[in-house]
Amino acid sequence: MRSLLKTFASVRLAITLIILLALASVVGTLIPQGRGPEEYAARYGDLAGLFNRLQLTTLYRSPWFLTLLFLFAVNLVVCSLSRLGPKLRRAFGHAEGIGAGSVAAMKVKSRIDVPGPPAEALARVSRELTSRGYAVRPAAVEGAAAGLLGRKRRLGWLGSDAVHFGLLVILAGGIVSGLAGRRSHLVLTEGRTADVPHAGFQVRLDRFETEFYPQGAVKAWKSTVSVIEDGRTVRTEVVKVNHPLVHRGFHFFQSSYGWDWESARLEIVVGLKGDPASARTVVLRPGESLPVEGPGITRLGVRRFVPDFVLGEGNRVQSRSFEPRNPAALVEAWNGEERVFVGWVFSKFPDFTEGHADDPAAGSGRTGLSVILKDPRPAPTSVLEAAKDPGAGFIWAGSLLVTIGLVLAFFWTPREIRAALAEGGGRGNAVILGGFAPKAKDAFRSEFEAVCESLRRSP
Amino acid sequence: MSESTFFTATFVLYVLSTCVYFAALMARRVKWAGKGMALAVAGLAFHTGALVARTVSSGHAPFTNMYESLSFFAWATVLALVLTDLKFRLPKIGPYVMLVAVGLMALASSPLMPKDAVPLVPALQSYWLWLHVSVTLIGEAFFAVAFVAALLYLAADTEEKRERMDSVSYRAVAVGFPLFTLGGLVFGMIWAYRAWGRYWSWDPKEVWSLITWFVFALYLHTRIVMGWKGRRSAFVAIVGFLSALFTYFGVNYLLASLHSYR
Repeated sequence: MRSLLKTFASVRLAITLIILLALASVVGTLIPQGRGPEEYAARYGDLAGLFNRLQLTTLYRSPWFLTLLFLFAVNLVVCSLSRLGPKLRRAFGHAEGIGAGSVAAMKVKSRIDVPGPPAEALARVSRELTSRGYAVRPAAVEGAAAGLLGRKRRLGWLGSDAVHFGLLVILAGGIVSGLAGRRSHLVLTEGRTADVPHAGFQVRLDRFETEFYPQGAVKAWKSTVSVIEDGRTVRTEVVKVNHPLVHRGFHFFQSSYGWDWESARLEIVVGLKGDPASARTVVLRPGESLPVEGPGITRLGVRRFVPDFVLGEGNRVQSRSFEPRNPAALVEAWNGEERVFVGWVFSKFPDFTEGHADDPAAGSGRTGLSVILKDPRPAPTSVLEAAKDPGAGFIWAGSLLVTIGLVLAFFWTPREIRAALAEGGGRGNAVILGGFAPKAKDAFRSEFEAVCESLRRSP
Repeated sequence: MSESTFFTATFVLYVLSTCVYFAALMARRVKWAGKGMALAVAGLAFHTGALVARTVSSGHAPFTNMYESLSFFAWATVLALVLTDLKFRLPKIGPYVMLVAVGLMALASSPLMPKDAVPLVPALQSYWLWLHVSVTLIGEAFFAVAFVAALLYLAADTEEKRERMDSVSYRAVAVGFPLFTLGGLVFGMIWAYRAWGRYWSWDPKEVWSLITWFVFALYLHTRIVMGWKGRRSAFVAIVGFLSALFTYFGVNYLLASLHSYR
């Protein structure tokens, strides 16, 4: 048990763990994380199986990575606690029994003949140090009539401990987020209300708009969202990227956007070429077909619809995106039992429409049908992420501790000056002064010299 | 004056500063080094003008694409040099740090970097853009100073020079590390939480920031607790800066990331 404690108290282990965590993290950025098995097989071939077994494809969640983090946390705790006692004593303790030798053994030291009455000598040292911000207390010094201890910026001793404790709080926050965090995506069209999972209230999307810059890039997505509790609207706010709505611990983030193609209706105008009077408008969904009463046509159907038409590999029709950049419908028309039209119809390129593809025999040329797809107007959808993350508070508290700790550790470096009245030495008022400041040697040396200089002068 | 005039003037001044610095080094004239510093300070003033002009004309923080952030990084590097020089009066590191700054400026002005000010995508519309990027890059600029001092440590021929370079390298890390932690990791987490709803997503940029942080944590612990100094410390500082550089460039160009702002 003791040797285990010793192991975990060692900085060597900390360094080993930091190196291992860093190397593992590098691997995790080189292998894309959390993709499908096909992608890994295509990318790495035979290695894919090995990567999978070593959990390199879900590395940051893998038991071995989490074990490393756990060991790191234990190491932090033991390391910090085992050094905390001596540090607290150093910063705030009584400093009993400073050996005279220990004053003389300090790196920065000086022997000064303080002018004035002997009884006043230490009092002058004390005043001098106090005026420079040192907290001074008497301390018994072996072999000396009297002594004192001056300390400054004592909190600086605890800077690294604050950093380490802050890191532990952050790690704890990660665990809390992982275990108790709740997230869900709400896909909403305007006017729709959705239950927020685990929340006990609902949200309704009142309005969703996309603002554009004059050059065409997206400037903002704005979702006007109402929170509904027991059927009553309790608040309404605009959610934008970087401006989440917060309600009862749940944060609602603007996560994505899109169009509701599922319930979109397509409007198709069909009629004889050159005869506007024969035009009929049919409203239908992809996959549907409806009877039409018109010259030369009895039924119209849409076999397929894509919002952003593009010909992919092997001339296969695909949609490049979910945005209505180039909406196209594969339309079929029948006259009785005879299919009189089949072809892709483009809302943005009405002239391009002609029969093609599977059935060369059927075509608009022969039947003289004109088929026009009206610009489809699907309802815009806003995707909100609803998240309750009780770990986040830990992260901010831990970050604050880390930041304060770093400032203390690097910019609030502790200083210590000890003084002992040397008995019988020299002209009777000899004071031995010693001091140290582990992380600010240069600055301290000049302060120490200034102290000595001031003491040498007459009061 | 327009941004590009300021930028060109800055570039010229930095190049002149570097030349004067190196001339001082070759001719062993310490006084010339002071002139090199003066030119660098003048360049810094013009550079500040360029950044302000950019901010005014684009209406957003001057570090939203590669050109802007390279320019800002160069600015921060010269600033870190000036501050280090004020503190340590160390003419030796001047020429090399200026060389880094000139390299960054050259990269920024290369035709590969689109210079147009593009309107901000929604994710970047936040005051955290200012805090997160500026503090991180200033922190990394101090890592650049530590890197140059570490290289000079390895190249130094006398014990006294080595001692000074070792000390400067450590002091630069001591300033850079808190800034990098605050700007890169803490501000990054806060902003990520506001914009994306999660403070940490193991995104490659985030992970590489963490790796850089690990390396400098290693630097500090080996040094303060285990008493490493000199050669070994210098190597760790060099690895740390290279890791910071990879976080900055490599992730944008080589890895798929939420942070791929070019």
